[in-house]
Amino acid sequence: MKKRVGVFVCDCGTNIASVVDTEKVAETAKKIPGVAFATTYKYMCSDPGQELLRTAIQEHKLEQVVVASCSPRMHEKTFRKAVEAGGINGYLFEMVNIREQDSWVHHDRGQATQKAIDLVRMAVSKVLHNKPLQISSIPVRKKAMVIGGGIAGMQAALDIAEAGHQVVLVEKEASIGGKMTQLDKTFPTMDCAA
Amino acid sequence: MVAVAQHPNIELITYAEVTEVSGYIGNFDVTIKKKAKYVDWDLCTGCGTCIEKCPTKKLKDEFDLGLGLRPAIHKVYPQAVPGKPYIDALNCLKLSKDKCGICEKVCPTDAIKFDDQDEYVTEEVGAIVMATGYDLFKWEEAYGEYGYGKYPDVITSLHFERLVSAGGPTGGKIKRPSDGKEPKNVAFIKCVGSRDDTKGKSYCSRACCMYTAKHAYQVKDKIEDSEAYVFYMDVRTAGKNYEEFYQRSLNAGAKYIRGRVSKIYPRGDKLVLKTEDTLLSMPLEVEVDMVVLATAMVPGEDSIDLAKTIGFSVDKDGFYQEAHPKLQPVETFAAGVFLAGCCQGPKDIPDTVAQASAAAVKVCGMFSKTELATEPMVSEVDISKCSGCGFCVPICPYNAISLKEIQERGHHGPLTRTVAEVNSSLCQGCGACVPACRTMALNLKGFTDEQLVSEVDALCL
Amino acid sequence: MSVENKSGWQPKIIVFACNWCSYAAADLAGLNHLEYPAEVRIIRTPCSGRMDPMLVLRAFNRGADGVLLSG
Repeated sequence: MKKRVGVFVCDCGTNIASVVDTEKVAETAKKIPGVAFATTYKYMCSDPGQELLRTAIQEHKLEQVVVASCSPRMHEKTFRKAVEAGGINGYLFEMVNIREQDSWVHHDRGQATQKAIDLVRMAVSKVLHNKPLQISSIPVRKKAMVIGGGIAGMQAALDIAEAGHQVVLVEKEASIGGKMTQLDKTFPTMDCAA
Repeated sequence: MVAVAQHPNIELITYAEVTEVSGYIGNFDVTIKKKAKYVDWDLCTGCGTCIEKCPTKKLKDEFDLGLGLRPAIHKVYPQAVPGKPYIDALNCLKLSKDKCGICEKVCPTDAIKFDDQDEYVTEEVGAIVMATGYDLFKWEEAYGEYGYGKYPDVITSLHFERLVSAGGPTGGKIKRPSDGKEPKNVAFIKCVGSRDDTKGKSYCSRACCMYTAKHAYQVKDKIEDSEAYVFYMDVRTAGKNYEEFYQRSLNAGAKYIRGRVSKIYPRGDKLVLKTEDTLLSMPLEVEVDMVVLATAMVPGEDSIDLAKTIGFSVDKDGFYQEAHPKLQPVETFAAGVFLAGCCQGPKDIPDTVAQASAAAVKVCGMFSKTELATEPMVSEVDISKCSGCGFCVPICPYNAISLKEIQERGHHGPLTRTVAEVNSSLCQGCGACVPACRTMALNLKGFTDEQLVSEVDALCL
Repeated sequence: MSVENKSGWQPKIIVFACNWCSYAAADLAGLNHLEYPAEVRIIRTPCSGRMDPMLVLRAFNRGADGVLLSG
């Protein structure tokens, strides 16, 4: 596989840029072996940000992408889609967390910038080992089983059945209703439980 | 309840237990044991003649928690759904001693089947909703100061529910279990087993503050010149209209006393409570006719076994573990298995209904697709390196790895070899198998050894 | 947390954090702006079960001063 990594450093408004020198991160990233392109942008997750990513992939013939922004738990899927829209496999992409795990927890600009650079270097070296992965699919049997016939089970079974799907409701006692049928009136409305 | 039984899309299997679950999201095979009912429910009309005529009438009724009596052939309760009876084989004269058989003779539709057997059926489903509910904390085994259950007039809140219920053993009249007299003064003790690390559980059972407020109100409402004392640690009324409901109890005259009851002992036909009013810093002794304990909700007895059978985890208290406490409150770690109600943790009726509907939506969301996309970051086996040792098989928490035999060309003709195989639908991508593999045949896509090593190296430059 | 650091020496701490708990917790620390020393470098793992002793040794071998596994 060719090594042409694109690095995109997000300012996140001032969330990242106020602590991390994103320009310096991008400039340093350009010197990392394998990196063909590096830039910064105010909001990478925004529409123009994603557009920037897509066009850069095509213009610079990028083969791998690294986005340094917020936590991957937040936007990994967003960028994976954008990378795919740019024409390369979504798994040839890594995210660097320089917000939650850098700019938001450190205040020393020098140290935080150095950390961001290290993390970008880490992601670049990882992404060079990434392989394209394919999402496969499995069939779904459109029938549900609900185990337990108390209020919870009955409500779930009814809702699924009302949506037009088959439901098997299994109850260990000889009657459904569960503990609720043993109750008298219920708070706060004092209506009957059955 | 009737809506459930009548819904054309719902198949009701009662008096049955799930014994085995195999497969994965979208494709589960569930084995169900239908316990012998000794009554053919297809023939039975639910007329109830057998129940009337059964001579074994004095069995303790489980539904009324032993406060009432029932015959050997019975419905769970008169309004049971389905409204059909079954035979308690242990106590039936015919089934235990081969005598009697009256029900068979009186049944107008010949529905009694003394030779009925347990039956196993397998259902093929795509999603499972766990709604196995809760049990009550066994206070009799822990609280010696409340008499270990030897005083008949120290009861639980669920007993109290049966006493105030119009369909209960007393027809809705509050009567003491010991002598059937109406109690004048009733004490309620909250947090019995809840919020008590030493004897019970550390958690709050969430519903007790409110149902105790209801019970105290019912005592004041139903019994003239009565007193309802509520002994509490805190009053927690977080919920819509809950605080107002609590105020209604206070306005009705319920006496709330902040303090734990340290001892209950009998005096004549009364019960004496030793306690303290911690707001006044005063020791206190209260004499009452009946004590009601708000016992903790605990996971159902068989619920942990069921979790193991299906393959998801439980929390430290044995409640079913949600995949994320805030963001995935109805999912489990087993894809395609969802949670509803108290099996996930103590909750009241509104929360239970809300969670059940949420679980239903998750199921419907799954069913809106004909095929499910699977996460590609799963383990893979390089069979050229795999020695077939099988060390990875028990390591996998999702039962995703199995051994299979493959045919290979050897030096002296065909050769059969055992290798590991990962079911990518079951694999959740945890990668626990990778370090366990001695021949480095296993690798986790997206988090391969090469990828992680390169990250370490890059950081340690 | 603060470390007396007169010599200017900066330790290299490698953290292996499980995506579902510790990594999420580190994110949460970020959301709450809880400050900690900047020498810490977190590597995301899918689960602490994925951790191979080889990775820890590799880190020390390459000059890490400390390794934290969390999951």
